[in-house]
Amino acid sequence: MNTSAEVAGNTASASLRSAAGEYLTFVLGEEEYGIEILKVQEIRGYDAVTPIANTPNFIKGVVNLRGKIVPIVDLRIKFNLGKVVYDEFTVVIILNLSGRVVGIVVDGVSDVMALKEDQLRDVPSLVTSIDTKYIVGLATVEQQMLILVDIEQLMSSPEMALLDAAVH
Amino acid sequence: MTIDMSQFYEVFFDEAEELLAEAEKLLLDINMENPDSEDLNAIFRAAHSIKGGAATFGFMDMTEITHVLENLLDKIRKNEMALTAEHVDAFLAAKDVLKMELDGHRNASLVDQEQVSDVKMMLKSLSEAGGVVIKPVPKVVASAPVAPVEAVVAAPAVANAQESSTTEPATPIAVSDDGLTRFNIALPEISEKDINNLQEELGLLGDVVVNKEANGRTTFLLTTDSTEADIVSICSFVLNPDDLVITIASAVIASAPVAATPKAEAVKEEDPGFGLFDMEDKKAPAVLKDTVVKEPVEATNKSGIAIHEEVGYGLFSKDGKEDVEEGYGFFAPFKPHSDAVKTTLIGDDTVATEANSGKVNEALAKVEVANAEVVATESADKRNLGRRESDKAPATAETTSIRVGIEKVDLLINLVGELVITQAMIEQRVSALDPVHHEPLINSVTQLTRNTRDLQESVMSIRMMPMDFVFSRFPRMVRDLAAKLNKKVEFVTIGATTELDKGLIERIVDPLTHLVRNSVDHGIESPAQRKAAGKNETGVLTLSAAHKGGSIVIEVTDDGAGLNRAKLLAKASKSGLSVSESMSDTEVFNLIFAPGFSTAEVVTDVSGRGVGMDVVKRNISAMGGVVEIRSALGYGTTISIALPLTLAILDGMSVSLGNSLYVIPLNLIVETLQPRAEDIKTVTGEGRMVHVRGEYLPIIALHSLFNQHTDITDPTLGVLVLLESDGKKSALFVDRLVGQQQVVIKSLETNYRKIAGVSGATIMGDGSVALILDVPALIQMGQTSNYLTGAQTFSSNSAHTMPNLVI
Repeated sequence: MNTSAEVAGNTASASLRSAAGEYLTFVLGEEEYGIEILKVQEIRGYDAVTPIANTPNFIKGVVNLRGKIVPIVDLRIKFNLGKVVYDEFTVVIILNLSGRVVGIVVDGVSDVMALKEDQLRDVPSLVTSIDTKYIVGLATVEQQMLILVDIEQLMSSPEMALLDAAVH
Repeated sequence: MTIDMSQFYEVFFDEAEELLAEAEKLLLDINMENPDSEDLNAIFRAAHSIKGGAATFGFMDMTEITHVLENLLDKIRKNEMALTAEHVDAFLAAKDVLKMELDGHRNASLVDQEQVSDVKMMLKSLSEAGGVVIKPVPKVVASAPVAPVEAVVAAPAVANAQESSTTEPATPIAVSDDGLTRFNIALPEISEKDINNLQEELGLLGDVVVNKEANGRTTFLLTTDSTEADIVSICSFVLNPDDLVITIASAVIASAPVAATPKAEAVKEEDPGFGLFDMEDKKAPAVLKDTVVKEPVEATNKSGIAIHEEVGYGLFSKDGKEDVEEGYGFFAPFKPHSDAVKTTLIGDDTVATEANSGKVNEALAKVEVANAEVVATESADKRNLGRRESDKAPATAETTSIRVGIEKVDLLINLVGELVITQAMIEQRVSALDPVHHEPLINSVTQLTRNTRDLQESVMSIRMMPMDFVFSRFPRMVRDLAAKLNKKVEFVTIGATTELDKGLIERIVDPLTHLVRNSVDHGIESPAQRKAAGKNETGVLTLSAAHKGGSIVIEVTDDGAGLNRAKLLAKASKSGLSVSESMSDTEVFNLIFAPGFSTAEVVTDVSGRGVGMDVVKRNISAMGGVVEIRSALGYGTTISIALPLTLAILDGMSVSLGNSLYVIPLNLIVETLQPRAEDIKTVTGEGRMVHVRGEYLPIIALHSLFNQHTDITDPTLGVLVLLESDGKKSALFVDRLVGQQQVVIKSLETNYRKIAGVSGATIMGDGSVALILDVPALIQMGQTSNYLTGAQTFSSNSAHTMPNLVI
């Protein structure tokens, strides 16, 4: 692993320091994302999704995960990335976010890597399809930029419409 | 009708035991200086629940204790009284007594009535004394374990009057100090039995002399060190304290030197007993020296440290032996000290020895006393503990049921569900095989199918129970309550066969008990009031259960006075809650769920403390349910509990729409039909209706409601399912009927959120998920035009239709 850790002036912020750890990386279109490995419960294929009426298009529906009803979110649609096709290669990452189980559809899972503090960079202010506050940092791995997402915050944000606004 | 209540005893016993255990745990953890109000509330609720249960089953002894306990807890909870160690001790003692009574009812084991009344008295006096300790626990509890404790504490003082100290302070009664007062207690006219009872009770405080007067009245002459408040609190068990006339006959009686044996708390609180001790100590320093030095020896001997025993003998051979023997007589039942105490004593021993014949200062003497006190309390605790354990031993009766965590059963159900699906898959594979070549395999699979089905059924049956299980507890309770309150109440139950998850059944009992009690106590008026209001003298209390939409709705309805909005508001602002006149009725009614809120003027042992509704709300929320109050002043109140069907089984009709399956609760389906073209009518070319037997019913097209693609958009090609909910009828247009089946309801909210028009989900035989339709919400949605025109906004839906779920 080529850690191009330039010892440049920009030292990591406090949030970045706590962000160091092991990440599961996955691909969405041309971009590579990383989520904390401890939030990942399992990885499975995409099948038998029951659509739910009147939900945003990125919520594909629910599946039966060993007796649990689990919602499936297509991050490709939410992030506006990649070709949205569903075939035998479509991957669903099942996340366990403080007891709530949610599945996310991605283009592919690439790797599990440990990231150190000095590999992490702050996110500049940008206009993106998701709020940059859900991005904890950026990392460079083999000349490729890795976007580290706080998946728990993102999934419980009102824009994902996964939780009852009235209750939570 | 007669109901054998004993079938529910076990449930109560289990429950009470759990509550007691929980209360004890909380008590032991409680922070004395700054008690967590949540903890206090929790302890209070436990006591309250036990009281409720005990009253239901007619265990009056337990009700009494919990009632007194509650009184005290309530004061502390409301910060009217500071929590002290004595309180906690008293609560623990009460817990033990309750446990004893519980075991008494359960296993017919022996109940120490003396202890029961002692604890009751102690609680009562604590509660009346406003925090001033009158009688700490070990004092009042049965005399046997107390005697040696007193002996130890008394020891330093005993030494003052060496020879006479042998007078046994074996019973607390014999112990007296110089703070004695003679009370003249004039009783009102009461029965002989009550007099005897009182005499016995007061006898615990001191010497009682009974004087019968000519007019049939009785006066007690009580010589005691207790205060007047003590006497009043004891008498109040038997008679109204207002009728008592207590006068002090003669102030202080000079105490005999023999009596110089201060009690534990006398020493602690620097009572006259302690003063006396100090005084004599100054008078006779030589004697004191002897005391201090000798005391550790005694103690060391007791604790069995050989070296010190020898040292003691060597140093004090003159009177050491004698004292040791005396000590043995004295301390025979006493157990060895803790190490900490030993070291302290050893230290003192040395000091005392080194101090030679010089003056031993008061401070040292005090240290000694303090030490002895520590020993006393500690060992008292130990002894009590030991006694309790030995009491427990004979309780060998086995339980006939086991309580298992809901999660375990859930897991089991889920696993069996998985098994069924897997089994279906195997069956499918096998059916493709050649029956001739694979006959044994096919036979085995058939057997597996049968076994799986049996297994599934029995696992499911673990959870489901008819509401009757809960409902049948109440007639007796209502009857007793009504009799107690002089009210006439007719009790009606509806839907007792409605099946409910056992987990929910068990948890609904407490809230329902509270609600029913409240209805009888506050809701239904007295016959006179009812007559004056032009109502039938007999009030009607209805308990009903029914499946409604995605919920099970349990309602407690009374035709009583109803909730008084103005009164609630007034009370709320008095209690410091933020309220305003502009609040809606629902908001005002919901005030009764605030902790400690009660509009009852008098706190009875039935209700009025304002704890019930707080508990009800909390318990129901914990079950994922919603409580709703509907009330009209003068006409009655309905409290409606809607519980989600998280694990209940639903009889459903599965229907298809495009590629998906939906399940409609069968009990809401009136009929299904395929309409003829001429039965379909429109208004202004839009809003379609179907003409069924003279009625025009709106057609709700599920595909447009759910914005889902289907090839069938003409009702004559599909199926209309006529639904009825809350008196409203609608025709739901779907593609076709698939079949009727029982489904296990799974919550969507566990991992997702509420969806408009969907009450839950279920897993079909092939492992796919089907959504269960929320019929009332659908009917509501069907009437809101924007759904029909397809202009949906997903986020507003849930909030918009939510209230319908509760109706």
